[in-house]
Amino acid sequence: MYKGVPDIFFVREPMAVLAFAVSRQLTQLHPVDVLILALYFALVLFIGFYVKGSTNTSEEFFLAGREMSAWIAGLSFVSANLGSLELMGWAGSAYQYGILAMHWYWIGAIPAMLFLGIVMMPFYYISKTHSVPGYLRLRFGEGARALSAGSFALMTILMSGVNMYAMAVVMQTVLGWNMTFSIWIGAATVAIYVMLGGLRSAIINEVLQFVLIWAGAALIPILGLIEAGGWTNLKAQIARNVGSNDYMHMWSTLGTFKGNPMGIHWTGIVFGLAAVLSFGYWTTDFLVVQRVLSANNLRAAKLAPVIGAAFKLAVPLIVVVPGLLALAVLKNADGSTMHLVAGDVAKATGQHAYDEVLPLMLIRYCGPGLLGLGITALVAGFMSGMAGNVSAFSTVWTYDLYGAYLNKKASDKHYVAMGRWSTIVGMLVSIATAYIVANANSIMDYVQALFSFFIAPLFGTVILGMLWKRATKEGGFWGLLAGTISSIAMFAYVQTGGKAALAHIALSPDAKPMAENMYRALWSWLICVAVTVAVSLLTKPKAESELEGLVYGATVIPDDGSRTLWQKPVFWAGVVMVVFVALNLVFF
Amino acid sequence: MAEGTGRGETLSIWFFVGIMTLVYGLVLLPYGAWAWFGGHEAPTTLNRLHPTFWWGVLLTLFGCFYTLRFRPHRGDERKV
Repeated sequence: MYKGVPDIFFVREPMAVLAFAVSRQLTQLHPVDVLILALYFALVLFIGFYVKGSTNTSEEFFLAGREMSAWIAGLSFVSANLGSLELMGWAGSAYQYGILAMHWYWIGAIPAMLFLGIVMMPFYYISKTHSVPGYLRLRFGEGARALSAGSFALMTILMSGVNMYAMAVVMQTVLGWNMTFSIWIGAATVAIYVMLGGLRSAIINEVLQFVLIWAGAALIPILGLIEAGGWTNLKAQIARNVGSNDYMHMWSTLGTFKGNPMGIHWTGIVFGLAAVLSFGYWTTDFLVVQRVLSANNLRAAKLAPVIGAAFKLAVPLIVVVPGLLALAVLKNADGSTMHLVAGDVAKATGQHAYDEVLPLMLIRYCGPGLLGLGITALVAGFMSGMAGNVSAFSTVWTYDLYGAYLNKKASDKHYVAMGRWSTIVGMLVSIATAYIVANANSIMDYVQALFSFFIAPLFGTVILGMLWKRATKEGGFWGLLAGTISSIAMFAYVQTGGKAALAHIALSPDAKPMAENMYRALWSWLICVAVTVAVSLLTKPKAESELEGLVYGATVIPDDGSRTLWQKPVFWAGVVMVVFVALNLVFF
Repeated sequence: MAEGTGRGETLSIWFFVGIMTLVYGLVLLPYGAWAWFGGHEAPTTLNRLHPTFWWGVLLTLFGCFYTLRFRPHRGDERKV
C-alpha cells in the first residue's frame, strides 16, 4: 500500500509483488500505443521544465511553495499511494483471496486518512514543520529526529530502486522490453522532472497519474461486469468456479483463521491493519504527509486527506473488481476456466501468475490505443512511484540530515542546489539498487520488511507526542528505538523459528505470513507506547509553554476559516465515514 | 493565479489534466472510428461494443471541458 512498493508493510506473500512468469511476453505495442506512451513522456518532461522557474527557494522546491489547493493536495495524497505495483499486486490478491482485499483500501485506509485530516494535520501544519522527522525534532529533540530521518532516507531510496526494478520486470513480461532500457529511461525521466521542479513537479505528475490510471483501467471493470452479466451473476460464477461463497464476504468469514482464504482473524484486521499499520502509514509516512503539507491553508490541509479518502473508497473498482472478474471470466484457449497460480509455480508450469491478472484483463478487453493507454497508466504509476520516493528522500536528506548535521548554516539557495543534486544521486543509488535486486531477488523481501520495522513504532511516538503533554524527549527516543528493535527481533524470530514462531507472534498455528505482519506491527507499537510512557514518567517533561503548536491541550488550534457546514472538513469526514460504514455493511 | 503550478505561472494543473485527456481522446477517437467503420476491430472480448471509439469520445469531452474551463486567461500573472 505504499507508492512504488505497495506492500511494504502489507506484505502479502514473499515475492508476490513480482511473481510474474518471465518466460514469455504477454503482448506487444501497436504504433498508436507507442504514440500514447511517447505523448506522456513529452508531457511530464515539459512540466518539469515549465515549473522549474517557480522552484527557486527551498520552500518551493521541497514543499511546492505550500500553495496547493485542497483538491490538488488531496489527489496527490491518494495518488502517492496508488502505484502500479499496488494495482497489479492487489488485483492479484483479489484473485487469490477474494473480496478480503478490499480491507486494505477501506478499513486499512479510510479511518486513518480522516484521522490525519481532522486530528493530526493541525499540529503538522501549524508547527510549520517541513517533514515528519522535523516534527519529531520539535517535539522530542535531535535523537528521535536522527533515528527517523536516517531510516526514512535509506528506505525511500531503496524503495525507489525496487520500484524501478519492478517496472523493468513488468515491461519485460508484458511487452518484452529490455530491462536496462526500462530502468534507464524511467530513471532519467524522473530524475529530470524532479530535479527541475521538486515536489511541485512530483505533485502535478501524481494528479495526472491519478487521472491516467482511471482513464487506463476503468474500462476493465465496466466491460468485465458487462461480460459477467452484472454483480449478482459475477458472484454466482465465482462461487461456482472456486467452489465457495467465502470469496465475496469481507467480514463474515473472519471469525476464525481457517475460515477465510487469507488465514487471518478479524482482530488482526481491526487492531493490526486498521489501528496500527494503517494509522502508522497514513499519518506518519512522510511520503504521503508531504503532499498534505503543501496545502495553501489550514482548512485545505485538513480537507485534503478527506478528499483523498473519498477517492480511496472508489479505488477497489479498478483494483479489486478486476481480480474478482478474472475468477469468473478468464478462460483458456479451449474455453475452460483459466487458473492463475503463484509465481514460482507459474515459472515451472508455464501458467500465468496471480500478479499477471491485471495485464491479462487489460489485454482481454483493450485493443490498440486502449492498450497503450493502460500501459501508459502503469508506466506513469511506476515513474511517479520513483518520483515520490526520490522527492521525499531529497527533502529529508537536505533538511533533516545534511542541513541538520553536516552543514547547518548554508544559504537557502545552497539547500535548493543540494535538493537537486540529492535527487540525481538518489536516482543513481536507486539504479544501483535495481541492479542489485535484479541479481538477488530475495533482497526485495528484506527491503520491504525493513520499512515495516519503522512505521508502526513511529506512529506510537508521533501520536503520543501529539496527544500527551507528559511525553518527554527521552521517552520519545527510547520508545521509538525499543519499538523498532522489537519489530526487527520478531521478524528475525519468525524467519528462523518457522511455524512455531509464527504461531507465537500471530496467536495461531493457522496464521499465514500476512497475519504475522499485522500482529508484529501491533506488538511493536504496544512496546513503543509502553516504553515511551514508562521512560516519560521517569524523566522530566518539557514546560507547557515549549509545547505550544505541537501537542493537544497545549495548543490553541487556529480557526480554519470554515463558515458554513459545507466548508467544514469535519462534516465531509463524517460523510465519507458514513459511506465507508455503509459499504462494509453491503459487502459484509 | 493558476492553481497549483506555482507563483506567477499561467497554466493550471487542471489545464494539464484537460490537455492530456483531450490529446488522448483525439488519438483514440479517430483510431476507434477507423477500427469500427473500417472493420479493423482488434479481436478482443466485447469488441462489438467498440470500446476504443466510445472511450475516445468520453476522453475528448472530458478533456475539452477541462481544457476550456482552465485555459489561461489574459489577466493571469505571467512568470517573470
